[in-house]
Amino acid sequence: MESWILTIVVFSPLVGAVLLMLMPNGGGLRRLAFGWSLVTLALAIYAVSSFLQAGPDENTYVLTAHVPWITGGDSSLGLVDIGYRVGVDAIGMWLIVLTAFLTPLAIWASFTAIREREREYYILLLFLQVGMLGVFCALDLLLFYVFFEFTLVPLFFLIGIWGGPEKRYAAFKFFIFTLAGSVLTFAGVVYLAYYAWSSGATTGGALTLSIEELTKLGQQGVFPYGVQWWIFLAFMAGFAVKVPLFPVHTWLPLAHTEAPTAGSVILAGVLLKLGTYGFCRLSIPILPEAAVGFAPFVAVLAIIGIIYAALAAWMQEDVKKLVAYSSVSHLGFCMLGLFSMKIAGVSGAVMYMINHGLSTGALFLVIGCIYERYHTRSIKKIGGLARQMPWMAFFLVFFTLSSIGLPGLNGFVGEFLVLLGTAISNTAGIEGDVGPLGYIYVIPAATGIILGAVYMLWMCRCVLFGPLNEPANTPDTSRGLTKDLTMREIGFLAPIALVCIFLGAYPKPLLESLEPAIARNILQLPEDRIAAILELDNEAEVVLIAEATDAVPPSEVRIVPAAALVPTDDFLTTPIDKINIASPETAKGGVADER
Amino acid sequence: MNGSAWFTQLLPEWILLIGGCLVLFLGATRSARSSNQLPFISLVVVLAALVVSVLRPVEGLATTAAPGLLLTELTNYVRFVALGVGLLLALVNWHQPISSERGEYLAMMLFSLLGVLLTASANDLLVLFFAIELVSVPTYVLIGLSRDDSRAPESTVKYFFLGAMAAAVLAYGLSFLYGVAGTTTMYVVRDGTLQSTLALGAGMDGLALIGLLLVFGGLCFKIAAVPFHFYAPDVYEGAASPVTGLLGFVPKIAGFVALLKIFGAMDWALPTSFLWIVWLVAAASMTFGNVQALLQQNAKRVLAYSSIAHSGYMLIALLVGPLAGAGPMRDGVLALLFYIGIYGAMNLGVFALLASYQRDAKSIELIDEFKGLAAKAPIAALALAACLFSLMGFPPTAGLLGKLYIFSSAFSLDQSHAFHGPLVALAIIGLLNSAIAAAYYLRLVAAAYMQSNDPDSAPVPKEGMGARLGLVCCAVAMIGLFVSPMSLVRRAKPVDVVLTGNEVSTVLTAAPEDSSAVVLAKPLDSESASSR
Repeated sequence: MESWILTIVVFSPLVGAVLLMLMPNGGGLRRLAFGWSLVTLALAIYAVSSFLQAGPDENTYVLTAHVPWITGGDSSLGLVDIGYRVGVDAIGMWLIVLTAFLTPLAIWASFTAIREREREYYILLLFLQVGMLGVFCALDLLLFYVFFEFTLVPLFFLIGIWGGPEKRYAAFKFFIFTLAGSVLTFAGVVYLAYYAWSSGATTGGALTLSIEELTKLGQQGVFPYGVQWWIFLAFMAGFAVKVPLFPVHTWLPLAHTEAPTAGSVILAGVLLKLGTYGFCRLSIPILPEAAVGFAPFVAVLAIIGIIYAALAAWMQEDVKKLVAYSSVSHLGFCMLGLFSMKIAGVSGAVMYMINHGLSTGALFLVIGCIYERYHTRSIKKIGGLARQMPWMAFFLVFFTLSSIGLPGLNGFVGEFLVLLGTAISNTAGIEGDVGPLGYIYVIPAATGIILGAVYMLWMCRCVLFGPLNEPANTPDTSRGLTKDLTMREIGFLAPIALVCIFLGAYPKPLLESLEPAIARNILQLPEDRIAAILELDNEAEVVLIAEATDAVPPSEVRIVPAAALVPTDDFLTTPIDKINIASPETAKGGVADER
Repeated sequence: MNGSAWFTQLLPEWILLIGGCLVLFLGATRSARSSNQLPFISLVVVLAALVVSVLRPVEGLATTAAPGLLLTELTNYVRFVALGVGLLLALVNWHQPISSERGEYLAMMLFSLLGVLLTASANDLLVLFFAIELVSVPTYVLIGLSRDDSRAPESTVKYFFLGAMAAAVLAYGLSFLYGVAGTTTMYVVRDGTLQSTLALGAGMDGLALIGLLLVFGGLCFKIAAVPFHFYAPDVYEGAASPVTGLLGFVPKIAGFVALLKIFGAMDWALPTSFLWIVWLVAAASMTFGNVQALLQQNAKRVLAYSSIAHSGYMLIALLVGPLAGAGPMRDGVLALLFYIGIYGAMNLGVFALLASYQRDAKSIELIDEFKGLAAKAPIAALALAACLFSLMGFPPTAGLLGKLYIFSSAFSLDQSHAFHGPLVALAIIGLLNSAIAAAYYLRLVAAAYMQSNDPDSAPVPKEGMGARLGLVCCAVAMIGLFVSPMSLVRRAKPVDVVLTGNEVSTVLTAAPEDSSAVVLAKPLDSESASSR
């Protein structure tokens, strides 16, 4: 059971889809889809408990399973070892939980909006869930690619069949754009496999696509910089479109505007994270040097995206398009954090992925509620709705605040850590060498935060406050909706709000579980440093970041828990090579050696 | 050679031949024409041949049975794939045509399959030529018989004249190869291993190159590669859909197998200038086929151009050949053989759909005519989508793995090899092409799913389940081979041993052999040499 729980979670929606195919027409369809997605959520939560028991802090990946898929017979023919490999670390686990959490809400939100071809609709949503869950636990590059690509198919149909007026164009643009990028990723995957095999360093000389093994080879320096450079570029082609990074983001606002509400929720909530997850799981660990080399370039694109998309969002009339552009802007922060190559930055980025999924997904849900009543999303046509729909107003303001990073809500934690990580990126610390980014990147990015607050609050003001402005014959209550939110609508918004508050107030468990995973699987720090970092977390709240000087090379710098130091008055003025440098072992005992 | 080996080793071929004749004769009787007897017999014949070839595979590295034939592992694989797709073809052609020539029609289909099987076993250039003509000639008849429409004879004539010219070019090229090598035998068995006999000798490059070029040109017609592709859209459009499904597979597999055999017989010691020509043909086929397909309104023309593009993908694998090493992911031969098998099924699936639905008593052809299909026939629409996503190379279908094998073999050529760079470039051209291709396959999918949800606007299913059953089988095969690709690859694996077990230094002419070697090719060798 242990090793199969992930497989069960991933393919459980498939079982639901089959049941839906067999189900007779009627209202039972949507209830079955909703119920089944709750089953998947329950299974995912069970998987979390197995995950926590399996010792995620000590291992790279847990709950692993392996079934051979493409093999190459005996060694005389040359071994091929491509398999169905799954397993998770904290990053994958929490993203799986996010997916399993958002899908039932998206299905619940579709109850009144979707009234034609219901069966196909819910089957496709469940298919989509299979693809997303699969990506987050795939440990074989081919399997990863299979799930990554597969997500396109259901979403293509979801947009193309149940979308808005320009649905076909949007669906095609979404599909072709993403595919054009990911065929290059495919080339990168194949070339990586070939190069690793031809270097002769793989286990048993086999041609393998195991992510774990390729990561190991990447760290051992098997891939020369030139090779890494090309593969990084190929990976980036696919992932950057998905994220989306400026300037390949143009499909996203269109796809969002045309997609049905549930499609937008899943797209913003989870699908965009496949891109950042790809960077985080593949590009950075397997191609470490190229990642450092590309980091300034990626960061500049991310910052352009942050500011450009924020300005573009400000100009939008369509509320949904505004939120879509805000996604582009927010994902820019995520990329910035990832490429800071610091634990703080990367864990901030992962937090950001989760938080963005929650707040933006919820914003799309709220907008869906408005649209169902007023059949428009234009800021010019609706206004002053707070008096008509107080509950809706509450949730819209709440999620807006969460999205712009109000301290105390979830958005703040990720944002802060990303900016912190970026700022300290070029500082040597316990994590080792200097990273590629620095303060200079923080300044324009922080501007993006201000702009974010501006356009989001502006949107809130236009929609909620001021004189009442409703199109004729609205609100439309023909489908059993009430003027304000129904219990069902409150039911799917409230859980997200609760999670937002929890993550904002107490992010510690999440961050603590992410830290070892990031240190070990993403940044590939040596074990003694990971031990030191974990030690610091346990023993002291204050982390001192020491700077490298000429006398002390970055690799020599150790960080000690604040408690292990004897604070003196001249502490801050003492040169780094004169202050107490403690190895993790001595720091543990609270005794610092003089050096 | 004892007499029974003639029969037992070639049992699948005999079954097809006798079955074909039986269908032909029964077709002359009135009672058989009007019932489902003939298609049923054809199906049973193909099934019997398949069962026999699976149960009694050719054993060992190479076994010889008859003059001019050499049964190898390649024979096993081609038998399996051709007869497997042949089963689907028999299903799809179940109700085609509804006319008095049904017996002739189905017999021609069986003879064409027989030609494919013989191509895989041919060991003599002349036999190879005849085998390929045995594939082609029945297809001319099939197109003409397929429907009562003025376009069918036009297609027949076009295909026939161009086909005849291609055959002449091929024969002329083969004569050059004979001139260079001094023998028409392609392989001899020596010490239990295959040795090629057409390898280029010093100073003969020029003549051999002309021969190779002519052979390649003639076979490019069979596989519908640029610049010998012009007939494809017109012929595909003119023929009835079930025949078009056959045209996309049977001549293609025969052409590629012939190319494999000839290149193998030259030890893959192909001149670089020739490699560049294949490179150009591959790149042009992919690009031209895909771009043209984007502009079409008729689903059959779309698939015709897509067939050209797919030949381009397969030429990449052919270009790599066995040079990148053995085993899946590296061996181009294996990638080609895998791809041709799945291509036959996924391409046929789409034509099966076209064959099984009609509007105003005419089979659907235009893309717009797909509308409403998903509402009317969800299973058929789903199967169609599976086949189209497979053509696109998308998970979860075997098309993705086919592309994986092809492109990874292109990347796997050793870096020191002069053609490493060009092949990587070609693979990237191919990958970008598969993104272009997605656009027009998606149009078909979108037409079936997105244009209308009104079952009344949907096309009407034709009588009979054969084609629809074929369609579903194709789709199931695509998903099944994605989950378990090794079930097909395992059969293709020994094939590369046959084609690459040779030593590159093999001499070109029939050297004196030790009498201990069990060879039947040897007497043939001298025979054919003396008879000239």
